[in-house]
Amino acid sequence: MRTIFHLDLDAFFVSVERVINPALNGKPVIIGANPEYGRGVVAACSYEAREYGLHSAMPIKQAFRLCPNGIYLHGHHKEYSRFSKAVKHILEKYAPAIEQASIDEFYMDFTGCAHIYGSLFIFAQKLQNEIWQQLSLPCSIGIARNKTIAKIASDFMKPRGITYVLPEMEKAFLAPMPAESMPGIGKETIKSLHDKGFYTLGDIAATAEDYFAAAYGKHGLEMWRKSNGEGSQYLNTYGDQKSMSHEKTFGQDVLEIEKMETTLFTLTAKVCQQLRENNWQAGKVSLKLRYSDFVTLTRDKSIKPTDDDKIVYDTILDLFRKNYTRRVAVRLLGVKASKFNIYCEQEQLFDEEGNIRKRMLRAITDIRDRFGFESIKFARQQ
Amino acid sequence: MNTPKIFVGSAGWSYKDWMPNFYPRAQSKNFSWLHFYSNYFKVVEVNSSYYTYISPNMVNNWLQQIEQEQEFLFTVKLHKDFTHKRYYGKNEISAVKTNLDILKEAERFGGLLIQFPYSFQYTSSNVEYLQKIVHEFEGYNQFVEVRHKSWQHKNAKTVTMCTIDQPQIGESYSFNPIIGNQTAYVRFHGRNVEAWKDSLNNFSKDLNYETRSARYEYLYSPGELIEIDQKIKEIFDKVKKIFVIMNNHPHGDAIANAFELLYLLKERTKIKIPPTILTAYPRLKTMAEVEKLI
Repeated sequence: MRTIFHLDLDAFFVSVERVINPALNGKPVIIGANPEYGRGVVAACSYEAREYGLHSAMPIKQAFRLCPNGIYLHGHHKEYSRFSKAVKHILEKYAPAIEQASIDEFYMDFTGCAHIYGSLFIFAQKLQNEIWQQLSLPCSIGIARNKTIAKIASDFMKPRGITYVLPEMEKAFLAPMPAESMPGIGKETIKSLHDKGFYTLGDIAATAEDYFAAAYGKHGLEMWRKSNGEGSQYLNTYGDQKSMSHEKTFGQDVLEIEKMETTLFTLTAKVCQQLRENNWQAGKVSLKLRYSDFVTLTRDKSIKPTDDDKIVYDTILDLFRKNYTRRVAVRLLGVKASKFNIYCEQEQLFDEEGNIRKRMLRAITDIRDRFGFESIKFARQQ
Repeated sequence: MNTPKIFVGSAGWSYKDWMPNFYPRAQSKNFSWLHFYSNYFKVVEVNSSYYTYISPNMVNNWLQQIEQEQEFLFTVKLHKDFTHKRYYGKNEISAVKTNLDILKEAERFGGLLIQFPYSFQYTSSNVEYLQKIVHEFEGYNQFVEVRHKSWQHKNAKTVTMCTIDQPQIGESYSFNPIIGNQTAYVRFHGRNVEAWKDSLNNFSKDLNYETRSARYEYLYSPGELIEIDQKIKEIFDKVKKIFVIMNNHPHGDAIANAFELLYLLKERTKIKIPPTILTAYPRLKTMAEVEKLI
């Protein structure tokens, strides 16, 4: 049986802002878009701001209505990345295996480590204290036998909590938790679960597996399994980023298709540039489309792994044309790449045209690295 | 983890624009900047010695000003005749050594900083020249600073190659702690890429203080300092002494960052910080053991 830690930095962006400017301590701090323009969303907010009903991903305009006296900051994103690396640096001293799930979340596998560190609960406190003392960052830790339960556990007693779900106690721990506490369940699914009378993970666990397979398909089965305490026990320790994406919230909602397609073209170029910088090729691309009434859809398509703007853009355009079906203005567009392969430098024999294009793309990447993204652009065919 | 002796300070102490951010505005007639400085830091790098041959009287005067401090060291930058002009003789060597000997005698000598320009690349003739200089000052602790990447990963047993943090332009040497002679000497020049590029366009022109200093205008962020702290601590076990010198001097940024690094390197033990700097850099408040103005 494995012992997985999930370490989640509490209100991470806000905590970093407070290191930069201690005067923000104890105040409602909101990181995200500028409320003066009224567009965009809350990226993170302090616990003091949450008392006003704010939460991340909330439209900034709504946040400002609820908390007009809050301190609104655009944020120091490079600093967040530096502090995240510093946390990882501390964790690497102790954890045999680490998976960084996001800028502020880490899974660690401490299976068998009780022999070295003693009580893992006390060890988690030591880890929490070290991160606080070295970096002034509060965090919460969940300990369980798999990643899903560890993540739910770290969220259970925030901020600065430690929750250890003992083996065989998983079902008892999960049963009273609201369905919303399960990672990866969206608003629509929650609404549907509530409509069907499922409010807690216990409600889901107590129902037959077949029902969930029938009602929600593959996703339903996964929900049922997780509610019953199952989940992945293995970490992705290669430091692999799972996806990379770029989004654009328009200053004013857009109805002109031409403008939307141009935006998708630019977003694609940014994603592909990032792919090439990492020497990766994406096997899946996704489109995100948010209408002005906040109805949001994401659609994806598997492709032969590539980092070529043209292939990605053609796929995204195809997804967009098939899925932009309402005659409603668009608020946000996004392009995401995932399922990465490492780019192989070896060129294909006898594919001279393909090789020339690859070399051209590499040259563009280098030029942009030196002179900025705007320094060179592709022309878009109409 | 072994903790080596840590000396944190700045490159120079005599900057008018450190007032009122570090030195108080209201100063009595005999107020000594060096004396004030030595209340907070245990080392200072003498930079004026790079531009001029300092008189022994002046060195003796410095010693008087820091008399009350049990542990305070001077590191001295070698005159540019040796490193940039490469034109010197017996008199120049003697002028330098006289001052080093005064400091040595008083047990206040930290080392001699020999800083070469970016153009001084790793070639056999330059290695030979470096050896010649090292030989001229044998018997004195020596810190050698080179700025070109071609020297990266080169090391020497008898001298300490400096670790430097500088704007990454062209083939610049990047930050990576180096040890030599059981010592590390770390210099921070800031990361102001744009101003540094501008300064390259004005190279060798006669400039005023503001223009000349612009390239050093840079306040390291807390995240950058944390990264630096973690990297420096990785060599703690391998050295006996670490010198950390902040050269991002405009407005007192060097002083603010020196306090921050001192706090981080000393495992976040609260440190003595004057109220002047806390007013100018409020983020230092969390690390201060506040005291009243002297």
